[in-house]
Amino acid sequence: MVANHQVWQRAEALERLGGDEDLLRELCQIFLEESPKLLLTLRQAALAGDAEAVMRAAHSFKGELSYLGAEEATHAARVLENMGHEKDLSGADATLVSLERQVTELCLSMKSARGSRQ
Amino acid sequence: MSQTPPPNEAPVSSPCRGNILLAEDDPIYRWLLQSQLVKWGYRVVAVKNGLEAWEALQAADAPQMAILDWIMPGLDGVELCRRIRATEQGAYRYVLLLTAKHHKEDVVAGLDAGADDYLTKPFNVDELRARVHAGSRILELQAALIKTQGALQFEAAHDRLTGLWNRGAIVDLLQREALRSMRSGQPLGVIVADLDHFKQINDSYGHLAGDAVLCEVSRRLIEAVRSYDYVGRYGGEEFLIVLEECAAADLNATAERVRHHIAECPVDIGTVQVSVTISLGLVCAIADGPDSLVPEDLVRAADSALYCAKANGRNRAETAPIMSQAGRVGA
Repeated sequence: MVANHQVWQRAEALERLGGDEDLLRELCQIFLEESPKLLLTLRQAALAGDAEAVMRAAHSFKGELSYLGAEEATHAARVLENMGHEKDLSGADATLVSLERQVTELCLSMKSARGSRQ
Repeated sequence: MSQTPPPNEAPVSSPCRGNILLAEDDPIYRWLLQSQLVKWGYRVVAVKNGLEAWEALQAADAPQMAILDWIMPGLDGVELCRRIRATEQGAYRYVLLLTAKHHKEDVVAGLDAGADDYLTKPFNVDELRARVHAGSRILELQAALIKTQGALQFEAAHDRLTGLWNRGAIVDLLQREALRSMRSGQPLGVIVADLDHFKQINDSYGHLAGDAVLCEVSRRLIEAVRSYDYVGRYGGEEFLIVLEECAAADLNATAERVRHHIAECPVDIGTVQVSVTISLGLVCAIADGPDSLVPEDLVRAADSALYCAKANGRNRAETAPIMSQAGRVGA
């Protein structure tokens, strides 16, 4: 569990949820299901050079990641959102790769936390 | 385990606190908000974007409270908020905006657009509950105020005993109808009616019996006139009836119907049956240009006719000459 702290702040998220473990577990489950879709949306938007769509998807992602206290991933999403806002996607690929890595680690961490609990 | 949407309805065990429209495009936040609101006893209408939210708000039984995400495809939270305020009529809508951190200027813009409160993502569920409950309390207070206001408006315009329009209200209505009649050129009928020997009823059977007679007479007056005529209690046992678009022949027929309906069977006041009759003074006014109909003159003319009805034996209607031309009695 100690390793998880770098990727996301589980305790922080739990506190936001009023200490409701069940709620956190369900929230993680939905994140595990939704984040691949959101990543795909982002990737496609970046490929198509659709700054508006990048901004929207990154904004959504940022909100979810910040809820989970995933600071680095939140930061990457915020950078992407700003790129979309500025309509300059020139550095988007690198940031997207970083975001994907962060999200993948986050998901792994969630799955292992779930495994250790059951 | 797959994602199951939270139910829209509160569990049967918890009381329903009210309906909330939830507009949030992000599936995780939508799920989180919906599941918590339902848990706290709210009924939730959840939509995925601003346009769906706007549509849902057009329904007759649309929720009074709306939780709107700031950034949504189609129509964002602030624009939606502005639309809600611009088209608001009747009951107030309580709007809670969800904003992202690091956007303090958004909060100002949101409140300027008409939001009542805001919540910053990522929010704490306890804060969410407290803010939603606070909004709910305001809506409950408002509902109570509207109810009281309605009751006060009714009391201010109606006679407490009979439920008819009171003197102030019926005079206002006469004024309004006189103006309308002057614009339309349609005849306006006015009747002043007075119960015959009402003092004797009070003296013989007591004031409670007198009140019962007034109530029953009021009921019969309403029954005898057309549904869109106005009947008011002008004084103790005196009534003023305003009849829009009523020509002389119709006015006479209505007055005769009233007279007959009151005299035809005695009023049951519990212990005894009391025979009651009414005398009526009528005037039919036809406007002849602006300022030609003066409400006070109409009442005075109807009053004179009533005096004749009393003098001629009561339980009858007398008509004043048709009025026109700057309030003077004409041919």
